Amino acid sequence: MIHLIRNENMKIYKRTRTWILIGIVMLFVILQIFNLKSSGSAIVEGDWRIQLEQDIAFLKLDASKPDALPIEIKQAEKLILLNQYHLDTDLPPSTNTWSFAVDQAGNLIVAISLISVIIAGEIVSAEFISGTIKLLLTRSASRTKIYFSKYIASILFGLALLLIGAIISVIFGGVVLGFQGLGGSFLFVKNGSVEQTTIIQALFQSYLLHIPFLLLTVTLAFMISAAFKSSTFSIVISLLVTVAGFVIATAMNSWGWTKYFVFSHTNLTQYFLDDPSVPGITLGFSVVFILLHLIVMHLISYPAFVKRDVV
Amino acid sequence: MPVLQIDHLTKKIGRKTIVDGVSLNLNKGEIFGLLGPNGAGKTTTIRMIVGLMSKTAGKIIINGVDPQNDYEKAMSNIGVIVENPDLYKYLSGYDNLIHFSRMSKGVSEQRIKDVIALVGLEHSIHEKAGTYSLGMRQRLGLAVALVHRPSLLLLDEPTNGLDPAGIRELRAHLIHLARHEEVGIMISSHLMSEMELMCDRVAVLQQGKLIGIRDLTVAKQVSDVQVQFEVDRPDLAVQILQTLTVGQEIGRDEDRVILRIAKSQIPEFTQKLIEAGIQVYGVHTLKPTLEDTFLEMTEGEQQK
Repeated sequence: MIHLIRNENMKIYKRTRTWILIGIVMLFVILQIFNLKSSGSAIVEGDWRIQLEQDIAFLKLDASKPDALPIEIKQAEKLILLNQYHLDTDLPPSTNTWSFAVDQAGNLIVAISLISVIIAGEIVSAEFISGTIKLLLTRSASRTKIYFSKYIASILFGLALLLIGAIISVIFGGVVLGFQGLGGSFLFVKNGSVEQTTIIQALFQSYLLHIPFLLLTVTLAFMISAAFKSSTFSIVISLLVTVAGFVIATAMNSWGWTKYFVFSHTNLTQYFLDDPSVPGITLGFSVVFILLHLIVMHLISYPAFVKRDVV
Repeated sequence: MPVLQIDHLTKKIGRKTIVDGVSLNLNKGEIFGLLGPNGAGKTTTIRMIVGLMSKTAGKIIINGVDPQNDYEKAMSNIGVIVENPDLYKYLSGYDNLIHFSRMSKGVSEQRIKDVIALVGLEHSIHEKAGTYSLGMRQRLGLAVALVHRPSLLLLDEPTNGLDPAGIRELRAHLIHLARHEEVGIMISSHLMSEMELMCDRVAVLQQGKLIGIRDLTVAKQVSDVQVQFEVDRPDLAVQILQTLTVGQEIGRDEDRVILRIAKSQIPEFTQKLIEAGIQVYGVHTLKPTLEDTFLEMTEGEQQK
C-alpha cells in the first residue's frame, strides 16, 4: 500500500502542472498580505484609542442599517467587543505574522480546496482517459488498494498544500509584519465575551480544524472521478460546490435549515475560537455529519470503481 | 501443470453472449494464438483472464491459483500488453518502469536494468515516454510487462500500428521468452501470417465460441507439399507434369503451375521440365497457410 501511494505521489509531483498549482497557492497568500497592507489595518497610526473608537462607531452604524444581513450584524458585534476589550484593558491591537496566519486559515482552506479538487478530480479518470488504467489494474494489486492509495494521495496533496500555505503565510507575513509576538495571546469572542488563548495554540487549531472542508471537497471530486471517469465533470462540479458551499455556509449561517447543510459543519474552529454558526449544533453532531457525507460518497464511487469492466 | 487453465469461460453483457464456454490450457514455454474476426471475443477473453473484465461463468486458473481466491498472487504471475501500450507520458521511461515494478514484490534494481537492456532502451530510458516513437513505446510496454518475471504473458493485438521492423522485433522477443525462459504466451491477433510465424498452437474463435485448436508444429511436418513451378511455357509444363503424376490435380495461374507432391520428388520433376526445353524461373514450396486452415474451419462452422 505504501508503494502504491508513492506511485500516486510520483504521478502528482512529477508533473509541471502540479507545481503551477502550488505556485498559485503561494501567490494567493502573498496577495492576502498585500491586501492587508493596503487596507491599512495592519499598522495603526496615531493614537490607537481614537482609531478604535472610530471603528466602533462605524461598526454600530453598519449593524443598525435595515438591510444588514444577520452575519454582518454578528460580525460587527464581535469586532465591537474586541475593540472595546482593547480599550478597556489598555492593550494596543497589533497585527503580527502569527495572528495574520491564524486569520488566513479560513481563506486559505478555500483556495487550497479549489486547487486540490483539480488533482483529486483527475486522479482516477485520467488513468481511464490515457489508457494506463489497463496496466494499472493488471498488476498484482487489488482494485481496493489502488482506490484507497489514490484517495490517500489526493488528501495528502491537499494537506501538503495546507502546510505550504501555512508556512508561506508565516514567512511572508513575518517579512512584512514582523515575527514578534509568538509568545502573545490570541483574542476571540465566544458566548458574548472576549476570551484568549496562546497564539501557538490558535495557529494549530485554526489550521487543523479547517481540514474537514478540504476533506469534503476532495472526496467529492474523487468520488465523481472514480465513479464517472470524467475529469471535466468532476473538476467543474467540485469547483462549483466548493465555492457555493463556502459562500452559502458563510452568508446563510444561522438560518434554521443550515443545520443540515454540511458546509455549516466543516469549519470546526466554530467550537473553539468562535460561536457555533447554527445555534444548537455540537462538535459531535458536526463530526458525525461530516463522516456520514464522506461514507456516502465512498459508497457511491467504491463499488463503481471496483466492479467496472474496463473496455 | 499448465500456466493457464480456462474452463467454460463465459461473458454475457445484457442478453448478448460475448464469450461462450471457452475452455483451453496453455503450457509453459508455449506460444498460443487466439485467432478470429473482429468481435469474435478474443479481446474479451484476454481481459477476463487479466482481471479487467468480470466473467459471467467459468473458471480461470493461473499457475494453479484461482484469482477469485487470491487475486494478488494470481496476478503476480502475469504480464500484460493490451493493444498499444499506454504509459505515463509525463514520466520518463525509467519512472514508468519504477512505477510498475513497485506494484510487484521483489523486483531488484538489477532486474530493472536487465529488462531495459533486454528491450534495448538504454539510451532513451531517462527521456519522457511522451517523446517515444510507437516502436519505443512498444518496447517500454514489453519491459513493463516483463520486469516482474511473469510466467504467463498475455498480449492483445500487440502488432496493431507497428511497422514491419517493429513486428519482427517483437516476434523475436516473444520466441526468445518462450524458448529460453519458458514463459507461456497467449497472443490475440487478426493477422494470420503473423500468428503462423510464431505460434505453436492457435485457437479459432467465432461469435464467442471456440471452434477449434490447431497444432501448427504438426502442420509444419506434413509430407506432401504444394509446389509451384514458374515457367515460360505453362501449357507444355502441365502436359509433362500430368504424365508424371497420373491423375493429380494440377492448378495453373498464368505462368505458374501448382501441384501437390512429396518433397523428394521436386528435383526429379524440375529436371524433367528442363529436359523438355522449358525455362524454369523458380520452384517454390507452399505450405498450407494458416489462412487456409482458418477459412476451412470457419466455413465448416457456418455450414453447420
